[in-house]
Amino acid sequence: MIDCHGVMKRLWEYLDGELPVSDVEGIREHLAVCARCYPQYRFQLAFLAAVAHAGTGPGPRPAFAERVRAALASTES
Amino acid sequence: MPPPALDGKESRAAFEREALPHLNSVYRFARSLTRDDTAAEDLAQDTFLQAWRAWHQYTPGTKCLAWLFTICRNLRARQAQRAQREEPTEAADLESLAAAALHASLVETDPHGQFLEMPDLRDRLRQELLKLPEEYREVVVLADVQDQSYATIAEILGVPVGTVKSRLFRGRRMLQEGLIEFARDAGIIADARSGGPV
Repeated sequence: MIDCHGVMKRLWEYLDGELPVSDVEGIREHLAVCARCYPQYRFQLAFLAAVAHAGTGPGPRPAFAERVRAALASTES
Repeated sequence: MPPPALDGKESRAAFEREALPHLNSVYRFARSLTRDDTAAEDLAQDTFLQAWRAWHQYTPGTKCLAWLFTICRNLRARQAQRAQREEPTEAADLESLAAAALHASLVETDPHGQFLEMPDLRDRLRQELLKLPEEYREVVVLADVQDQSYATIAEILGVPVGTVKSRLFRGRRMLQEGLIEFARDAGIIADARSGGPV
């Protein structure tokens, strides 16, 4: 059974879906019963959601796509 | 070298079908690198021009967005004439443990990070993200905003997967340190160091 230290070391890889299947189950089981690691897991989930939201930002100006198309068209001549 | 003239029309159609739908994602990545709207448009446009010139090297149906990110990032590195310096970064698992220690300071006050959903914190996080040194910012954006895998980011940046993990985890930890400090200073979460709510 994986211990708290092992879960903490691999939590981000677990959340990123980067661990082999064989490691995922042990961490999932640990998180389900560990009062120490579960809040950390919830915190990191909230943090990653916040980063995804904060980093998305506005897109380009509406005219940008036209600008790129025009630049590409000029490479044909 | 441009794609062969014979299949020029087909090439252009494939480019429009596979590459151009990623305009907004490439712009946003360029914006995260340059931190400037105009420079981001220039960089994103150059990315698509370069992608078109190199389109014959692209294998249709493969990861087009990752390929565009690679071109964008390489152009940016060239523009910025960024030295290939290697920041000393802790091993990935040490960064993870450091983040756990950081979280331990919140256990008594906001263990699930509910403060992260506050609008002020979202704004602050955007600022903290732009403040990160570029080598961490680009990895955090590729992983956490553009949802790219460690292996794909390693390909984009031309570094080992271990370096991707170290930079990603370091970047995340730096963001968390900045956010927690801001939230404490603003009285949003209690400062455990002072022994009670602010």
